[in-house]
Amino acid sequence: MSTISIILNGECKEIPASASVADLLVVTEVVESQKVAVVVNEHIVRPDKRNSFILQDQDQVEILVFAGGG
Amino acid sequence: MNSLRLGSYSFSSRLILGTGKFSSTRVMLEAVRASGTQLVTVALRRFNRNQAEDDLFGPLSEIRGITLMPNTSGAATAREAIKAAHISRELSGSPFIKVEIHPNPHHLMPDPIETYEACKVLAAEGFIVMPYIPADPVLAKRLEDVGCSSVMPLGSAIGSGQGLANAEMVRLIVRESTVPVIVDAGLRSPSEACAAMEMGCEAVLVNSAIAVARYPVAMAGAFAKAVEAGFEARNAGIMPRSGSAVATSPLTSFLGAAS
Repeated sequence: MSTISIILNGECKEIPASASVADLLVVTEVVESQKVAVVVNEHIVRPDKRNSFILQDQDQVEILVFAGGG
Repeated sequence: MNSLRLGSYSFSSRLILGTGKFSSTRVMLEAVRASGTQLVTVALRRFNRNQAEDDLFGPLSEIRGITLMPNTSGAATAREAIKAAHISRELSGSPFIKVEIHPNPHHLMPDPIETYEACKVLAAEGFIVMPYIPADPVLAKRLEDVGCSSVMPLGSAIGSGQGLANAEMVRLIVRESTVPVIVDAGLRSPSEACAAMEMGCEAVLVNSAIAVARYPVAMAGAFAKAVEAGFEARNAGIMPRSGSAVATSPLTSFLGAAS
């Protein structure tokens, strides 16, 4: 199976080629009910686009949540 | 008018709570409940499956009547703050954004120029913009002019517990503003929150003073009462100061006359 490298939350990660953002969320163990924001190369990928959004080699991906803050 | 109006929203509580620095999510949630707050701040963070407790969206959304106000902490420029605001809105579904741009980690003082630039853009985009600012009446007025829904001058440095070190400047901002003035940062004790309300602030934003108290839940309740007391006192009309004593009992001379 061919793979690509992406930068996920600042770290290099190998994922299967033609993986979607939704696939990546499964791999990174984001629970389905959990609300996360996904940003690929500075573009926000909304939940309804995550199945069709196919990641490319060297994409910069951020998966973000809300933590405590003042 | 007993409710706090911010944009098209109105809140009966005038205590805004920060959710950082608590010893656990459970304690934070209990403090939120005890405070009666309806508006809480949160911050963006990278997802980490090993720190599942970090994710506050789920637990906070289970508390009825809570609106989230994400902050842009971590942003050092207007561009970064705008980006954080867009991501936060996507995640929270809330139009509120606390614009917080502090490039220097040692003093955490807000950058007025970048803050102004970010607020101008975000207000035009329809956000309810709540800027964390130095206690500067000129900047406060300029932010009001570009459409901010409130201004949030710092009482003193974030997390310092130095209270209302900028009291005179906050008073000036209150006098000049037509949007709610909210003291954000530096408050250490409920009496300081009460004082801020008495001087005309419409709300206070508290985090460290509650989160690092020995009993955060009890302290949250204490702050809630103090904020309410200060607001009621202000509306009741606080007596003017006098340079000399003014008797409260009749000073008749019959005692002396009887002897």
